[in-house]
Amino acid sequence: MAGDTAPHAPTRTLEPAPLAGAPAPGAGGGNGDAPAATSGRARATRSADVVQTRASLIALAVLVVVFAAISPQFRTAGNLQQIIDAAAVLAVLATGITFVLMLGAIDLSLPGVIGACAMTVSLLVANSRNTQDLGLLGIALTILLGAAFGLLSGVLSTRLRIPTFMTTLGMSAIGLGIATILFAGVRPVVLDESLGAWASHRIAGFTVMSLIAVAAVALGWAIQRWTRIGRYAAAIGGAEDIVLLSGVPVARYKTLAFGVAGAFYGLGAVMLTARLGSGVVEAGAGTDFAAITAAVIGGTLLSGGRGGVLQSMIGVLALTVLANGLILTGVSPYVQQAVQGVIVVLAVAVATWPVRRRLGVVK
Amino acid sequence: MTETAVETTGPRDDDGPAPGAGRRSRRDLALLFMPGAVLVLLLLALSTRNPDLLSPDSLLAIADSAAPLMVLAIGVTVVILCGGIDLSIAALAALSSVLFALWIPLFGAAAAVPVIAVAALAGAVQGLVHVKAKVNSFIVTLGGLALWSGIALVISGARTVPVTDVDAIRWAFTTVAGLPSAVLIALGAVVVLGAVLRLTPAGRWVRAVGHAEQAARLAGIPVGAVKVAAFTTSGACAGLAGVLLVARTFSGAPSLGATLLLPAVAAVVVGGTAITGGFGGIGRTVIGALIVIVLRVGLSLIGVDAGFESIIYGVLIIGAVAVTIDRTKLDVLK
Amino acid sequence: MSNHVRPAAATSPVLAVRGLTKRYPGVLALDGMDLEVRPREVVGLIGENGAGKSTLLKSLVGLAQPDSGSIVVRGEEVRLRGVAHAASVGIGMVFQEQSLVPNITVAENILLGAEGSGVRGGLFRWRRMAELAQVQLDKIGSTVSARARTDSLTFAQRQMVEVAKVLALEERTAHEPVVLLDEPTSVLEREEVETLFAQVRRLRERASVVFVSHRLDEVLEISDRVYVLRNGRVVAEVDPAEVDATDLHHLLIGRESTGSHYHDDAQQQPAADVRLSVRDLQTAGCTQASFEIRAGEVLGVAGVQGSGREELCRALFGAVPGARGEVLLDGKPLRLDSPRAAVLAGVGYVPSERRTEGVVSSMSVTENMSMAHVGTVCRGPVIDGRRERALVDTWVRRLGIRTPSGDTAIGTLSGGNQQKVVLARWMVSEQLRLLILDHPTRGLDVGAKSEVYELIRELAGSGCAVLLLSDTLEEALAMSHRVLVMKDGRITACLDAPRGGKPDPVAIMEAMV
Repeated sequence: MAGDTAPHAPTRTLEPAPLAGAPAPGAGGGNGDAPAATSGRARATRSADVVQTRASLIALAVLVVVFAAISPQFRTAGNLQQIIDAAAVLAVLATGITFVLMLGAIDLSLPGVIGACAMTVSLLVANSRNTQDLGLLGIALTILLGAAFGLLSGVLSTRLRIPTFMTTLGMSAIGLGIATILFAGVRPVVLDESLGAWASHRIAGFTVMSLIAVAAVALGWAIQRWTRIGRYAAAIGGAEDIVLLSGVPVARYKTLAFGVAGAFYGLGAVMLTARLGSGVVEAGAGTDFAAITAAVIGGTLLSGGRGGVLQSMIGVLALTVLANGLILTGVSPYVQQAVQGVIVVLAVAVATWPVRRRLGVVK
Repeated sequence: MTETAVETTGPRDDDGPAPGAGRRSRRDLALLFMPGAVLVLLLLALSTRNPDLLSPDSLLAIADSAAPLMVLAIGVTVVILCGGIDLSIAALAALSSVLFALWIPLFGAAAAVPVIAVAALAGAVQGLVHVKAKVNSFIVTLGGLALWSGIALVISGARTVPVTDVDAIRWAFTTVAGLPSAVLIALGAVVVLGAVLRLTPAGRWVRAVGHAEQAARLAGIPVGAVKVAAFTTSGACAGLAGVLLVARTFSGAPSLGATLLLPAVAAVVVGGTAITGGFGGIGRTVIGALIVIVLRVGLSLIGVDAGFESIIYGVLIIGAVAVTIDRTKLDVLK
Repeated sequence: MSNHVRPAAATSPVLAVRGLTKRYPGVLALDGMDLEVRPREVVGLIGENGAGKSTLLKSLVGLAQPDSGSIVVRGEEVRLRGVAHAASVGIGMVFQEQSLVPNITVAENILLGAEGSGVRGGLFRWRRMAELAQVQLDKIGSTVSARARTDSLTFAQRQMVEVAKVLALEERTAHEPVVLLDEPTSVLEREEVETLFAQVRRLRERASVVFVSHRLDEVLEISDRVYVLRNGRVVAEVDPAEVDATDLHHLLIGRESTGSHYHDDAQQQPAADVRLSVRDLQTAGCTQASFEIRAGEVLGVAGVQGSGREELCRALFGAVPGARGEVLLDGKPLRLDSPRAAVLAGVGYVPSERRTEGVVSSMSVTENMSMAHVGTVCRGPVIDGRRERALVDTWVRRLGIRTPSGDTAIGTLSGGNQQKVVLARWMVSEQLRLLILDHPTRGLDVGAKSEVYELIRELAGSGCAVLLLSDTLEEALAMSHRVLVMKDGRITACLDAPRGGKPDPVAIMEAMV
């Protein structure tokens, strides 16, 4: 950029006095009229924010009403418990991925990270393969491993300057490789009773796992609301270049956001292992997709800066209700997968539809 | 610039060359020879371990096993050249394998045609959604991945569909003039696609869209159509790859292609095509696919755990993208 | 800060720039720049596009690293590494394209990266954050709430928040800050400009201000001293009380009026037949536009920023979704739904943002030139390399494009030569009927400008209709046969501008503002 980039001629001619403060939203990505474009974008985002949250809630309500009308079984209190229990793992994973999505990044590493963490936790607590019996410590170590995966994804993306979907796709492969090596052909059955109780023991009607999930989501919300990691993640998603100019070490906070996300994936892997009763390499298959879908339905914009942990929970509930309702109405689980595929695209399309004309280049 | 100044005012308000324009050529030069050199070195290194590896027979066997991957990878190359990504290719190939196995009793060998047409249509649908609704290509195709594999599971009943009429697929696993027919089919696809991209305006359009979409649009290039065509090509290639997979395994299976996504993406980026779009080509992907396959063969030759293969793909993808990516285009990294 | 008098510091500069030089490939952006900023004064900087204003400001906040020379802050030479580093020595900039994060609160923005006691133990204390931010907002008397979400504010309010953000440096550095205002008035309304000026005067009580604007009257109104920049140097330091706009104009240009520059004598009478007829064109930012262009006519469009003229010309090229209206090109309806349709109908468009919209910088001169009408060099579906080379050679010679070869990446050429390739892209087609030029000389040097003007004359002479959006009114008047004037998205006037009978700019100004 040599010389002045200001496009205006110096002579007092065509722009003697400005007109209406914020001109019409820069239609067609005009000629770099940055301030106008910014204010246009800001306004669109804000109104879309409200619309989106409301739309997610309405979608959830519609699903509940429709299934309640179709299926008497759906209306039972027992089924409500079931929905909450079924949502537990996805809630934790979606909380984690929300931090990454808030940045405007994406995370496809869940299958690998969860696979590796599931194998790790099943080999660290009392199990059928070795003599380890670390109990809670093993769980803590697994969560740390998840965080380490996340940090590595973050470091690779920020230091090598690689788009995150590529880094995390690679990380997923690495995680699955590690899981396969740990698996070594023999499935480790979890013998640790306290971990087993996560899935079986109930307090006030809910499984231990559901309560842990609620606590984890609350923790995630607190991180988002009160810590630099959470606040900067939102700011970075809103306008990364500006945050960088303000002297915030953006790369560090991006990496930390990935680390937080990884820790939640680690916890999710522990919960999945408790539910499955043994270490499974493919425990995380499809979770990347489900977590992204949940966050997007909840109103998280993939371009970053919008959404949050609580919004993602609306998405988690909507997805779980959908799965639950489809099962109760006798639809094959494979169809569900196909339906989810359509839903995520639809949700993103609906979220971007009002502003699609303003979007310049979409890759 | 100075040479254009006619008045006495000297160098003034010219905006000069684009940043990095000079540097890029050096990066291009490195990218030009590296993949080929890596392939040769890899082959030489492995041949010290097993001298038979360089024999014509074993080289042909390697090429034969690379055919489905190569077809899959050249398709997604076109999408990546446009600046997008297609994560659905492997799922679509799996769906195609199921469809092919199911339709052979109806159409015989000709079943390949409707299969490829359906896969192309699926690709076109993804392209249309991407273009019309302006949804990121990786989200559209991630959704596609779930959708196509869901459909494959439903219509196959989540089981492998065996092919009983072997004659109907013989054309895809026989040898012609000593060459495996699968290799010839893959080469045919490479030549056709390569010729279209090199000789017709299509190649320039694809690169222009990948490099600078807005400039391409304002030069009158039908950007939307180019992108939809790229996704359609990618879908058709996935369909052909699915057919070739059936010929290798004598069955179609919803899980058949699941393991092919990473190697295919790895083949593209290892070949030197930039994930940022605009730079790269079909020839590069052919070399990339060979590298990936030779690596796989080599690993089993050395007797490495299958787990490491996955790790190597991961490292390879991250490493190759780190080398090939065009960072001048990433003002803000997402 | 207290207002106690600092005898020595009161006259010694708080910021001094000595012999600052910065060379970009092919351009000497700063050529031994010398200036100083004293405590509690407003320094105006004016200069033509390319005079070095932006590069100077970038150097002062560490976004550009000068090749030689020095920046001295309060007597100490500094090498600024970035905006955050500049902030740490008390220099802050209010950017032209605002630099606030839209989706967080005002308080977070003001304290971004330097929350101080607003964050304790890693946790945000929202009440304390609001208090800290309010202190800064109070300094300029802003009524914005510190807890408001930033994207709920108006542009002018956000600008104030930015000033408050810079003022926060005062506490952090224990010095009075230097506030750089880069074109702060460019999108403000008149009352907002007044408010801004009131606040700048208030700012002078506690800070030094560098005010950059292309509006001379504003610079004269607000500044205590004005530096005039040209070609990367300070050519004059003036007292605003002693000069008027005309003096400054001469200093800025450094040359007398531009007589033959526009090739006036080459202006020919357009043909009688209507090439383009537009009725009730409707698009975002532009309503009910109706006009005609004849073959061989250059129609200038004048208007201030936000007048809708950019939208109008992009809509005609099909580059704005949702444009409606009855548009006839040579009597046939012109589709407005895609640039592709416009190109096929014989319309060309030279965008103002050459680097991102005009050229594909890493592709070759040849590929860029034949991009729009590649069909003319095709044999069947295949590109005929020989025919293409011949065509490109012809046009490279005809337009005098300076390029090593047709295979050179266009991004390595100078802006003027890039622009000529973009023009050639449309001229290669014999079917070119209408060429829309959106600021075609933006960022070009004088020589290149003159060459572009000559091309426009030639093009019109050959019967092509030209719709011209100019950087300057002078250019629009000189180049056009008629000038449309737009205001608030509507056409407010249409004036004849024949050779030797150009209308008075004042008349056009009246219709514009």
